[in-house]
Amino acid sequence: MGLRSLLWRNKDSRELTEELDDFLEMAIEEKMGRGMTRAEATRAIRLEQGSRDVTREVVHAARWESFLEICGQDLRIGFRRLWKSPGFTVVAVLTLALGIGATTAIFTLIHAVMLESLPVENPEQLYRLGDNNNCCSMTGTQNDGSFVLYSYPLYEYLRDHTPEFEQLAGFASYLNDLSVRGRSDSAAKAYKGEFVSGNYFEMLGIQPAAGRLLTPGDDSPTAPRMAVMSYRTWQQSFARDPAIVGSVQNIDGTAYTIAGVTGPQFYGDTLRSDPPDFWLPLAGEPEEWRLQSGEVEWLYLVGRVKDGIAPDSLNARLTVELQQWLASHREVIPQRDWGEIPRQHISLTGAARGVDQMQTQYSLALRLLATLSTLLLMIACANIANLLLARGSDHRAQIAVQLALGGTRFRLIRQLITESVLLAVVGGVAGLYTAYIGTHALLLLAFRGAHSIPISARPSIPVLVFAMLLSLATGMVFGIAPAWMASQSSPVDALRGAGRAIGGRSSKVQKSLVVVQVALSIVLLIGAGLLTKSLRNLEGQQFGFVTEGRLIVSLISLEAAGYSEPKLPALYQRLEEEMPRIPGVLSASLSAYSPLEGNNWSEYVLIQGEPPDFSGTAPSWLRVGPHYFQTIGTRLLHGRLIDERDGPGAPRVAVVNDAFAAKFFPKANAIGHYFGMSDLGHSGDYEIVGIVEDAKYQDTRGPAYPTFFLPLLQVGPREPLRGWVSSIELHVAGRPESLEPDVRRAIAEVDPNLTVLRMVSFGEQVARNFNTERLIARLAELFGILALILACVGLYSVTAYAVARRTNEIGIRMAVGAEPTKILTLVMRSALGQVAWGMAIGVPAALAGGRVLADLLYGVRNYDPTIVGLAAIVLAACALLAAAIPARRASGMDPLVALRYE
Amino acid sequence: MPDKSTDLVQGTLDMLILKTLALEPMHGYGIAVRLEQMSKGTFRINAGSLFVALQRLERSGLINSEWKATENSRRAKYYVLMQQGRKRLDSETKEWGRQVAAIARILEAS
Repeated sequence: MGLRSLLWRNKDSRELTEELDDFLEMAIEEKMGRGMTRAEATRAIRLEQGSRDVTREVVHAARWESFLEICGQDLRIGFRRLWKSPGFTVVAVLTLALGIGATTAIFTLIHAVMLESLPVENPEQLYRLGDNNNCCSMTGTQNDGSFVLYSYPLYEYLRDHTPEFEQLAGFASYLNDLSVRGRSDSAAKAYKGEFVSGNYFEMLGIQPAAGRLLTPGDDSPTAPRMAVMSYRTWQQSFARDPAIVGSVQNIDGTAYTIAGVTGPQFYGDTLRSDPPDFWLPLAGEPEEWRLQSGEVEWLYLVGRVKDGIAPDSLNARLTVELQQWLASHREVIPQRDWGEIPRQHISLTGAARGVDQMQTQYSLALRLLATLSTLLLMIACANIANLLLARGSDHRAQIAVQLALGGTRFRLIRQLITESVLLAVVGGVAGLYTAYIGTHALLLLAFRGAHSIPISARPSIPVLVFAMLLSLATGMVFGIAPAWMASQSSPVDALRGAGRAIGGRSSKVQKSLVVVQVALSIVLLIGAGLLTKSLRNLEGQQFGFVTEGRLIVSLISLEAAGYSEPKLPALYQRLEEEMPRIPGVLSASLSAYSPLEGNNWSEYVLIQGEPPDFSGTAPSWLRVGPHYFQTIGTRLLHGRLIDERDGPGAPRVAVVNDAFAAKFFPKANAIGHYFGMSDLGHSGDYEIVGIVEDAKYQDTRGPAYPTFFLPLLQVGPREPLRGWVSSIELHVAGRPESLEPDVRRAIAEVDPNLTVLRMVSFGEQVARNFNTERLIARLAELFGILALILACVGLYSVTAYAVARRTNEIGIRMAVGAEPTKILTLVMRSALGQVAWGMAIGVPAALAGGRVLADLLYGVRNYDPTIVGLAAIVLAACALLAAAIPARRASGMDPLVALRYE
Repeated sequence: MPDKSTDLVQGTLDMLILKTLALEPMHGYGIAVRLEQMSKGTFRINAGSLFVALQRLERSGLINSEWKATENSRRAKYYVLMQQGRKRLDSETKEWGRQVAAIARILEAS
């Protein structure tokens, strides 16, 4: 009956009508049988039984199908009403798109980073031996006794003595920069690689997309060298060429055969930007002492536990095994730490999401963002509720008629809520698009400089479900109150045209909501202003070098390209000759590392003739080649710069910066003095020949460290940190990035095994130091603008509603002689009041909260009056503009119409 | 127009309709007339309540309906009691008897 009658509705309806007609006819005949005329009988039956049509509707409505039919009707009505008021609909949909979009974007990130498991088989069976993310290579006892990093011999011992693990695998706790060159490649390219044990892929339980994955047979010093490529690399760098499987690639000077490619979803054991492109067996680790020494702790261990094993007992057992091994290998722990040995233990943690570096790092930030976006969404809901209220009072006559014709309040509320949900769903669909853009932008901001990020901005199924549910909930939340209030209007009152204010109480709620929105907006705007100014100060400061027109080339270790120290002078000479020959290059230089790339060497120095002074931070230092300072734009203050004459046999010299000179030679001129590293016997090693201006090499905020510069090739026999170059600086004319192909070609011509790790303009390299600050500033700006828009929409809707309610009153005022400008000021006064209150609350809150920001800010005080003033002016201007629109409409009303307003 | 029959609780009306149909199959008007007769005028059902109840009973499988020719050679929808309906009638009647006895006991106690 049920579903069938949905489809055959007309037939059922006709049958019911016929049955009712029969019933009434028989009742009439019976009455006629008692002596009434047909007309009298008909009238009597009509009085007794009611109208046939109403009865039919009553019976009809008692069926459950009518629920769906009414829903369909409601949707059609709702759609028509929204279509008819495009202004309202557009504003509401945009507001919702922003609110739902922001929340969905944050949820996409939360889901990808914190909720989703590794794309492996049965991830809940995976456990990690360790409970924190200490990296990357250490010796001796570990933090709080909790073992996280393991030496290779210890790994072997645990692997062989713990049958509770189906497989226990070990892998490097950091990624290596590999230099990879195929047979047909003209130059080597840089890729990320991870060294893993032979049973790594078996432990994870994944399938290859092509070829095969590593097996324990590959992880032996005598086995042929095999490597596995990631699917993303295969797709992006090798165009999924099937010939890659089985091909030979030269990786860091060793020939590896590519055994296969991992599946498309797999990105490794850790969610990180720039995941591994290659997985190599541990036996291939070039620093062989890593595999033999029990001292070097550098592996993370993850294992798949067999079914039915309780993690707690396994945990205890592992600690026992660790203690046993340490007892018989005491020599790996420095003697001074032997007292700590009993405290060493292993904590098993679930590894369904792999090594949770990113989760830990971003957990707080994500939760903060989630709170903020939920707050904004709720404010958006409140705004739309206000807009609906304003709209509802426009439609009061229509609603009154509906109620008078027999519609129930329940039916009316249902229809209005359906309309709200429809609006919310449309906003939700628009929000999905906004969320995609937002997530994409957030990822680009947070991971600027990364080649690939294994987080997709595209909405996955859980995200879609989340967005839908959120839209439905949002629609209900903002729809209920206005629907309820609309249904409360008495039809008689509405038809009679009483334009009196309903519920002065509700307008107080609305107004205080606007005040809250204004306060929130000013807080966010001030915060955004401060952070943006701070970022601009940071990026625009005098670093001590020039970033315009400079290109920085970072090379992978020259040792990997097959160089040994004796070969370096010839290489450097060739590079110094070839680089300036590239068209567009004005000057070139080599150095151990470049400023603000993340590297910094420091060493205490001993001044000849002075007592040793190890106070303060050790000075920074670096080895540079000729033309270095000119190329990066650091000015010479006194003396001379390092140049060609400072070669291997020449007198050993050094150039220092101003801070160094000021610290160690406060009264004299530093030039001509001597100093050295390591010990007093060497304090006369270097003669200071020049002083350059201060430049920042690592810390972007504090003043430059005292720094000294030594020539590349003047390396004493016992000195650490030899003359290896990993950075080439180029001063170019025109856009630095445009020279990239020419530079690559030139380097390949010098030696095709030289591998470029990274080539960026100096400006970009410096900018990447401020990724976090930039992210925070952009987010603050975004949320500030969102809050501003919402506050304006809120103020507009409350003012429009107030005007609508007071139309009669305005008509009366105009009729007794009030000028339009007086009406304008009347309406604006209320709006002004809300804005003023909002600022009165918001500005002190911003100043108080600004103290939290004080540490983040650079060059701007957290109560900077310019910023505060600017934010206040912008907010006030936008808000008053928003309120002026309905105010102007009010002042332009025809008093006759206003008086007659129903 | 509302009359006394709408004071009947929904379940009671269902039971009375089942009883009426237990005697013989009938069409809607016939049921209404029979109910009025058997209750000596106390219960007068209006069309709306009756047909809502009939629809409900039919959907629960307690009664069945079919179009048949009437005495006046018109067609009318006749309702017939099903086996399940008979069982329900029996149990409802017993239950009703218990309730009435209990109420009577309470009212008589002083």
